[in-house]
Amino acid sequence: MQNQEKQTYWTLLHEFLRRFIDLSEEEFIEWKPYFEIRQINKKKILVNKGEVEDYVNIVAQGLVRKYMKVKKGDVTLQIAPEGHMVHSEISFHLRKASDIITETIEPTVLISISYQNLQSLYSKYPLAEKLGRLFVTEMYIIKDKRFFEILKKSTREIFLDYMKTHPQMLQRVPQKYIASYLNIKPETFSRLKHLLKKKV
Amino acid sequence: MEKALGQYISKYADLSNEDLELIRPRMEVREFAKRQLLTQAGEKEQYLNLVVRGVLRKYFFKGRDEVITQLAKEGDLICSSVSFFSGQPSQYAVEALEPTIVYSLSRESLEELYALSLRIQKLARIVITDLYLSKEKREQDHIQFDIRERFVNFVHNNADLIQRVPQKYIASYLNIKPETFSRLKHLLKKAPLVATLS
Repeated sequence: MQNQEKQTYWTLLHEFLRRFIDLSEEEFIEWKPYFEIRQINKKKILVNKGEVEDYVNIVAQGLVRKYMKVKKGDVTLQIAPEGHMVHSEISFHLRKASDIITETIEPTVLISISYQNLQSLYSKYPLAEKLGRLFVTEMYIIKDKRFFEILKKSTREIFLDYMKTHPQMLQRVPQKYIASYLNIKPETFSRLKHLLKKKV
Repeated sequence: MEKALGQYISKYADLSNEDLELIRPRMEVREFAKRQLLTQAGEKEQYLNLVVRGVLRKYFFKGRDEVITQLAKEGDLICSSVSFFSGQPSQYAVEALEPTIVYSLSRESLEELYALSLRIQKLARIVITDLYLSKEKREQDHIQFDIRERFVNFVHNNADLIQRVPQKYIASYLNIKPETFSRLKHLLKKAPLVATLS
């Protein structure tokens, strides 16, 4: 990876962190060695079922899918594009075997911090403690919001709202993954796609 | 009651006596009658509550139906947590199912405590992470376990709640139809492993 490209990712990380805390350039330079930039091919499994998650990842480029394998097939829990966080949370925090799988859909660049480094960051920098608290609070709020959206909206609304807020996804992600994520049957999903053509 | 607070906290972190002295004067003891609401849907949640005595439920309305997302007993935390942390109006209601005593901490007090102690801030991070992981776990359980498995798991882990909480509430919490729930109860008698636990 070119230095310039790396710099772009570091800038992205700094901006990401500054959404939560006031982190100066000097402080950020001290924090940087705790993070890694990881380049991953497409369709690579990051964490498999049964493995212990080592990282919290921010997607800098590409797409990652988080899913569960069950008798009926795969159930997609998350499709994470640029700027989103993705990892096997329960496995990471509780240090136990993951029930879910994370896998890249496209060639992907992740900015990651390992469990060990995160603990070191917490113990060395009081500001990291605040970051961790605000960060997990935001994840918690987002999770609850998604729960209520899926519950309260009609299938048609869920579909249209998602397409509006994620206009690129239909080009980038196999349709069946989006359908599974939105909890819409594949047949229904195909039917709903006609709504998009009419509007344009 | 002081003991309940210490016990709860020690599940997550080793706080010094100094930290506990900061927390103690900020905790309010609140008592609720059976069927009394602690928090209504639409209002902002002001408190984080630790259950000292009693059983409570947290629920929301799906159309006209109540859907229960949490049952809490002694030693558990309960509040409309997303509202508490975000400051947005609550989607959930919290109600006492028995005469209940909770130890409560207001948002303002919690903010004060963050400023006073880094260890308390760390405790908060761990508690919020725990809340987040419970939500994730619940979502995953619904995907990977069928109704029968969810029922058996719940009974395993919450034998006492079966005695204390109306059956229809437990059915709602597990997302099982009341008729199905009644049918599943026979499993308790047949399976000795589960029966001994209840």
